[in-house]
Amino acid sequence: MADTVEESGVQPAAERPSLAAEFEAVKQRSLWMDALDRLVRNKAAVIGSIIATIIILMAVVGPYIAPYDYLRNDFSRIAEAPSWDHWMGTDVLGRDFTSRILNGARTAVFVAVVVLVISVTIGVTLGATAGFVGRWVDDVIIRIGELLSAFPNILMAAFLSVTMREPVTIFLADIYSKTEWGILNQRIYIDYFMMFGAISATEWVGYARLVRGQVLSLKEMGFIRAERALGVPQRMIITKHLVPNAISPIVVSVSAGVGGVMLTESTLSFLGLGIQPPAASWGNMVSENLTRWRYDPHLVVMPGMVLAVAVFGFNFLGDGLNDALNPRAIQR
Amino acid sequence: MFVFVVRRVLLFFPVLFGVLIGTFAFIHYGPGDPLSIMFGEDDYENDPEILARLRKIYGLDRSFFVQFGDYVCGGLCVPDARNEGIIRGDWGKSLRSQRDIADIIQASLPISAQLGLASFIILYTVFVPLGILAAVKQNTWIDYWIVAGSIAVNSVPVFVLGPMVMIVVVLKLQIMDTPVGWEGLFTTNSILPVALMSLGGALGIVRMTRAGILEVVRQGYVRTARAKGLRERMVISRHIMRNAMTPVLTGFGPTLAGFLTGQFLVELVFGIPGFSNAFISAFQGRDFPMILAGTMLGTAMWIVSNLVVDLLYGVLDPRVRYE
Repeated sequence: MADTVEESGVQPAAERPSLAAEFEAVKQRSLWMDALDRLVRNKAAVIGSIIATIIILMAVVGPYIAPYDYLRNDFSRIAEAPSWDHWMGTDVLGRDFTSRILNGARTAVFVAVVVLVISVTIGVTLGATAGFVGRWVDDVIIRIGELLSAFPNILMAAFLSVTMREPVTIFLADIYSKTEWGILNQRIYIDYFMMFGAISATEWVGYARLVRGQVLSLKEMGFIRAERALGVPQRMIITKHLVPNAISPIVVSVSAGVGGVMLTESTLSFLGLGIQPPAASWGNMVSENLTRWRYDPHLVVMPGMVLAVAVFGFNFLGDGLNDALNPRAIQR
Repeated sequence: MFVFVVRRVLLFFPVLFGVLIGTFAFIHYGPGDPLSIMFGEDDYENDPEILARLRKIYGLDRSFFVQFGDYVCGGLCVPDARNEGIIRGDWGKSLRSQRDIADIIQASLPISAQLGLASFIILYTVFVPLGILAAVKQNTWIDYWIVAGSIAVNSVPVFVLGPMVMIVVVLKLQIMDTPVGWEGLFTTNSILPVALMSLGGALGIVRMTRAGILEVVRQGYVRTARAKGLRERMVISRHIMRNAMTPVLTGFGPTLAGFLTGQFLVELVFGIPGFSNAFISAFQGRDFPMILAGTMLGTAMWIVSNLVVDLLYGVLDPRVRYE
C-alpha cells in the first residue's frame, strides 16, 4: 500500500517557472498526484509510511537476514539482556529474540495482507452487487453483514477459531493425504488458514458497506447524471469518475485496516487462539513472556513495542491518506 | 413514546431468541463433543457403550429441539428435563468446573460492571472535553497532539500497554505494588485497569466529538449566536455542544454494553476475576454452556443499552419523535 503511493510519486511536481505554467501544472495533476502532494506535506503520514515500509521490508527480507534460527534453543543462554551477539537478548527458552521478532513481522504482515485481499475482494464484490442490484439481494447481504458484526470482531474471530480449528485441520489433512502438498501438513500453515478465515469473516463487512454506500450515492450524483445526459461514454464515466470516487475510501480503510488486522491477529495469538508457539507472532511472544515481566521486562516490552509501532505507523498512514484523498474533510 | 418503548421491548425477545437458537445450533451441530471436554479426549473414545450411557445421562441423545427446549424452559416444555431452564434462571453447569453458571455470573459480573462503569464515566468526562478542545483549537498544535496522541494510544493493545505501564509504575517508579487481582473498586489495584479501559475507547470518542463539533460550527445558527453577542463559552455549551453530541451518543450504547460486561484483555492482564475473563476462558476451554450464557448476556446488554440511547436522543434532540 505504502509502496504504490510512494512509487507513483517518483516524479515530483515540476519546477514552476511562471504563474501560467504553474496554473497549467496544477490543472494537469491527477487525483493521485494531488493526494500524494497533500500526503507528503503531512508529517504524521510521512512517519507512518516510513514505519509501514520498514515493517513490510522486515517481513519480506527479515527471515533471511535473521542472525539465528528463530526456533533454535540455546539453553546455556536463557533470558539474557540485549548484548552484542543477541541484539534483543534471548527468551526464556534461549531463542534469539531478534530473529523471532523478524519472523513475527512476517506473520503479522502475511496475515494482514492475505486477510485484506480476501475481505476487500469479498467486500467490494458483495457491496457493489448490493448497491447496483438493490432490492432483496441488497437486503440479504446487508442482513448477513449485520449479523456478523453484531458481536465485537475479536470475539467472533475467537469463536470461529475455537470451533473451526478441528474440522479445518481434518479437512487439510485429508487434502494432504491425497495431494501430498507439504504446505498443508505444517501446523503453522493451519494456523495461518485459521487466521485468514476467522478474521476475514467479519472484516469484509466494513468494505461491503463502504462500497455499497459509495455506489448508491454516486449513482444518483449530479455530475454522473450530467455526464450521462451529455452522452459521455459509460466507460469514461466509470473509469474517470465512479472508480476514483469509490476507490479512495477503500484505500483509506485498507491502510487503516492493516493495523486493525495486525491487532486482531496478535490479540488472538496472545490469547492462544491464533498462531501457536513455537511459531513466532508478536502476540504470542508477549503472552509467552508475560509472567516474566518483573524479571526480564525486555521480553515483554520488545515485541509489544514493535507491534505498537507497526500498528501506529499504519494507522497514521491511514489517517494521512484519509486527509489526502478527502480534501473536503479538511476544509470542513 | 410509550408505544415506542413497548414496541422496542417486545422486539427484544425475538432478537434474543434468534441469537440463542443460532448459538445453540452452532454449538449443537458444530465440532466438539461436550463429553470429551468434560471427561478428557481419550478415555471414553473407544468405548461406545460407556459413551452411549453418558449421552443418555446428560440427555445428549435427544433431538436438537428437545435439547433446546430443555435448555430454555426445562420441565415446563419437555418431559424428563435436565435443567430448570434459563427462563427460571438456570443457565446450566459449566462443563469445565461443574459449577452453576448462574453462580459464576453472580460472582463475576458485578466486578466487571463496577470496573466498566468507572471506566465509562472517566472515558466520557476526560475524552469528550479533549475532543471539544481539539475541535475548538482546530489545526493548532493542541489539535494535532490530541488527535495523534489518541491514535498512538489506540495502536497499543492493552496486553502490551498493561505490562509496560506496570513495568514503569511498579519496577521503575515503585509507587505501587503489583496490581493483580480484585479487592474492590476503590483500591489502588483498580487504578490501572480503569485507566487502561478508558484509554481503550479514547480514539473513537475524541474523533467523534471533534468531527461532530466541526460539523456544527459551520451552521448558520452558530454564526447567529455569535453575531448577537453571546459569549464564546455560551455559544459552545448551548449551541454547539448540544447539537454536536448526537453522534457521540451513538457510541454510548455499545461502549457501555461492552464495558459493563468487561474488557477481557484488561481483566486477563491484571488477573481480575471478572465476567469477560470467565467468558474468554470458556472460549479457550470450549465450555459451551458458558459460551451460550455469555453470548446471551452480552446481547441483552447490547440491546438494552441501545434502547436507552435511542430514548436519550429524544431528550437531546427535540426533532426526534417516537411514533
